[in-house]
Amino acid sequence: MIKFLTQFGRYFLLLKKVFSKPEKPALYFKQTMSELVNLGLNSIGIIAIISFFMGAVITLQTAYNTENPIYPKYLIGLGCRDSMILEFSSTIAALILAGKVGSNIAAEIGTMRVTEQIDALEIMGVNSASYIILPKLIATLIFNPVLTLIAIIVGIFGGGIAGTFAGVITTENFIYGIQYAFIPYYIVYSLIKTVFFAFIITSISSFQGYYVEGGSLEVGRASTKAVVYSSVIILLFNVILTQLLLS
Amino acid sequence: MITVKNLNKSFNGKPVLDNISVIFETGKTNLIIGRSGSGKTVLLKSIVGLHEIDSGEIWYEDTLFNKLNFAGKKKIRSEMGMLFQGSALFDSLTVEQNVMFPLDMFTDNTPEEKIERVNFCLTRVDILNSNNLFPSELSGGMKKRVAIARAIALNPKYLFCDEPNSGLDPITAILIDALIKELTEEYSMTTIVNTHDMNSVMEIGENIIFISEGCKCWEGSKNDILTSDCETLNDFIFANSLAKKLRAANKK
Repeated sequence: MIKFLTQFGRYFLLLKKVFSKPEKPALYFKQTMSELVNLGLNSIGIIAIISFFMGAVITLQTAYNTENPIYPKYLIGLGCRDSMILEFSSTIAALILAGKVGSNIAAEIGTMRVTEQIDALEIMGVNSASYIILPKLIATLIFNPVLTLIAIIVGIFGGGIAGTFAGVITTENFIYGIQYAFIPYYIVYSLIKTVFFAFIITSISSFQGYYVEGGSLEVGRASTKAVVYSSVIILLFNVILTQLLLS
Repeated sequence: MITVKNLNKSFNGKPVLDNISVIFETGKTNLIIGRSGSGKTVLLKSIVGLHEIDSGEIWYEDTLFNKLNFAGKKKIRSEMGMLFQGSALFDSLTVEQNVMFPLDMFTDNTPEEKIERVNFCLTRVDILNSNNLFPSELSGGMKKRVAIARAIALNPKYLFCDEPNSGLDPITAILIDALIKELTEEYSMTTIVNTHDMNSVMEIGENIIFISEGCKCWEGSKNDILTSDCETLNDFIFANSLAKKLRAANKK
């Protein structure tokens, strides 16, 4: 318990350091642009592929579980849309990003720690936590909502393609379904969740990397911990946010 | 000048440095020598503030460094340059960007002025035509040179070198030593070098302290070291068989 509280305290102390005034805002801006590419643009591919297949599977499963003629066919499109918007685009994408981006961040910062690059920054009088972590946080907070929107669009598109090719729904029915009883607030709900999840992934992964002690083995462990802890906390916050935002 | 008074440092209750007091003089190459695990790196990192000390005082000229807040330490740190054991170059930046980093961060120079300074520093350490290479493309000796160039980019008053020769062949090691000594004299810096390399000691050791098990056991110059009567120091200096034979022959 004491160890947990110590870690908890260190996490918030690190965040305090991260959110202190940047030494040279122009340099931070440049760094943020670079992180937008590393952590954001480079994640589009995996998010698009996974979302496409998630949308396809949701459509097929909904179709095969609602074969009763009393269910209108357009419900398949509606099911795909709401599943993608409410849960898959934000939560599942966040879990995937926890694996891809989270491990990347923890390994990168952890390696900087064990190779004394962080010490080098400190010696120069640079606030290393802020210089390294803040641009990553800003980049993910900006770009993860974009990834969520991409996931929604590609997922629904994947559902439409799979449903049509499998012959379980016509294109017209699917399009009618994804337009039927649309609640725009669901998008807002999904984006709010994404912002929280982006913060969780980046801050926890950075924390794990920043305090690594040892060598490559410890960097590997930090990377694993970053993914596991981020995923668990994402799932916990998913429940809390859903209750707060949809009740 | 850097003055350390009664410095104590422990990790998890285990003492690592015990009541160290020493003066590191300006314009001289000050060496901290000792066996691996003797506390040299902890002492160096305590002096630069990377480790919080348990008790004692660290003075940079007439400023008590270890009692300063972050802003105060930052001011002193802007006058420090450090060469790390593994060079600690930023992997994602090129040679030029690495050397330019402190200039970008702490000066308002124009890009042309920065480039000029970077090229001057790189030329000073004999790194030519490598501005666009990444650290992974450099040899160990080149990495050390680039790290020295980065350390001197802001004209520091204090230069710290943690095992500058580790992993280098004897000839490159001597070249790096010579470079450190030259720069120290040229810019009148207070330089502290951590080493366990006896070649370095004999090449550049103007003021040497010997640390053993966290205690300062001996202090002197390279001229005194071979005739010291400190047994622990002698065991360290004359550790290899050739040195032992020479010592025995000298005694005869």
